[in-house]
Amino acid sequence: MSQIIIQGLLLSGLYALIAVGFTLIFSIGRVLNLAYGAYLMIGGYVYYHVTQVLDMPQLVGILLAVVFGCGVGVLKYTLLVKPLKGDHVAVEISTLILAVVIQAGIVLVFNDSSKILHPIVPGVWRVGGATVTFNILTAALASWAILIGLYLFVRNTHIGRAMQAVSMDTKGAAISGVDPDRINLITWGISGGLGAIAGVFFASYTQLNPSMWVAPLIIAVAVVIVGGIGSIIGTLIVAHIIGFMEIISTTLIAAELRGVFTMLLIIGVLVMRPRGLFGREEL
Amino acid sequence: MAFLEIEGLSAYYGKARALHNVDITVEKGEIVAIIGANGAGKSTLLDSIIGLTSIRGDVRLDGDSLTGLASSAIVERGVGYAPERFNLFPYMSVLDNLMVGAYTARHDTERNLELVFDLFPRLAERRNQETYTQSGGERQMVSLGRALMTNPSLILVDEPTIGLAPKVCLDIAAALNRLNQENGLTILITEQNANFAMSLASHLHILETGEVRMSGSAEELGANPELKKAYFGNTHGP
Ligand SMILES: Nc1ncnc2c1ncn2[C@@H]1O[C@H](COP(=O)(O)OP(=O)(O)O)[C@@H](O)[C@H]1O
Ligand SMILES: [Mg+2]
Repeated sequence: MSQIIIQGLLLSGLYALIAVGFTLIFSIGRVLNLAYGAYLMIGGYVYYHVTQVLDMPQLVGILLAVVFGCGVGVLKYTLLVKPLKGDHVAVEISTLILAVVIQAGIVLVFNDSSKILHPIVPGVWRVGGATVTFNILTAALASWAILIGLYLFVRNTHIGRAMQAVSMDTKGAAISGVDPDRINLITWGISGGLGAIAGVFFASYTQLNPSMWVAPLIIAVAVVIVGGIGSIIGTLIVAHIIGFMEIISTTLIAAELRGVFTMLLIIGVLVMRPRGLFGREEL
Repeated sequence: MAFLEIEGLSAYYGKARALHNVDITVEKGEIVAIIGANGAGKSTLLDSIIGLTSIRGDVRLDGDSLTGLASSAIVERGVGYAPERFNLFPYMSVLDNLMVGAYTARHDTERNLELVFDLFPRLAERRNQETYTQSGGERQMVSLGRALMTNPSLILVDEPTIGLAPKVCLDIAAALNRLNQENGLTILITEQNANFAMSLASHLHILETGEVRMSGSAEELGANPELKKAYFGNTHGP
């Protein structure tokens, strides 16, 4: 029981981090960025290359992963999303195509074998009958720290408030002196950076391979659809629902079911509550 | 040279033309009103000044052309806008709505907040309330307040009395008058309520199906029997 609670909490923290960059884009542009999983993959591979091939320090690996993620986010907005202005279906299809292209690129550069990342922090911790790897503990704590930082940023800075404003009323933002284009660009950059760092932790929790973008994408899509929301707090709540559901189903039923319940939940919510449990899309 | 010069302005929604060859000037420190029925093009005119529509013609502020600039850049040059449907941020507090208005005028935040709260004490009391829970009158105040936070020298106010109780209309009129007289703000206002417009403005323009049909002072237009019947007849509102 304590195992389920502790693992559930830790995994949910990581899931919240995985999802938050995706919900950010959804709330500001009402568009599902289906290449989001590829940010995680890019983050993971950059970190792997820097720390395990080039043998550079972990911090450098994380920083470069974030820089790459931001860069890909900014490029994607500039080259793809902005030119397709407002056409959500076209944006979503082209982001999906982009994910497949990135996957091919990864295979080309790193080949298609799976790679194991060394734990970011090695070791295990035993508490009351439960064992916790320091790695997932670090991932969960880092996730919380990043989410709290993001929350404070969105609430208390001019750029953060402008992001909320654009997500709620673009015209209102523009006549307040905010350039919605620029805020979109910044948001895509932040989203890419968040995805990349989530990817480092996610890859260290699972493994690196060229199709690893699918599972986190499903988690992120599930959070948006189940919650119907773009808020950071809402993302946290739904990430916990999904995280616990997954831990419970894999511990008590079968490990092979990882992800299946999440997809069933997506379908269930789509059928019964198309606007999500909370039904508020703004940041 | 007038402070705001609108010259040969035409505006389009796709192929449909909503404004045709509009010429309007506003002197510095003046209140000018545009009067027109529903669909005359009042909102389109104000949207066009602030760069939200595709236009032909020219709009100049203090001699500089605004045509082709992004809305955010036009705001930065001193044009504030309180639009018809407010376009507030519903799940943000009154204070945060105002703070978004401070985006390009951060250094004057304190002074402008003081002005807004002094003008609308009700907003100071409700500064932490999310705006989607507010009444129409309160939202109008937030909308005007947000425009003031941008540090404008000209504000565009689109039908501020629509749907408001007479008492609230008077409050809004008093606030606009005070901004004009004490703060030297230039104001361009639109109204269907011609009596309200006349009580404020020194100069009025009648807009019909996207064209300026007639212009003049309140006395001149009020004396025209045909207009009197069409626009100044029924006294609804204050
Ligand atoms: N977004 C829009 N798309 C297409 N036509 C519009 C749009 N907004 C306004 N119009 C049309 O432009 C004309 C002027 O509208 P508007 O400026 O809203 O008038 P008013 O504010 O005086 O009621 C109307 O015929 C209206 O139907
Ligand atoms: Mg209108």
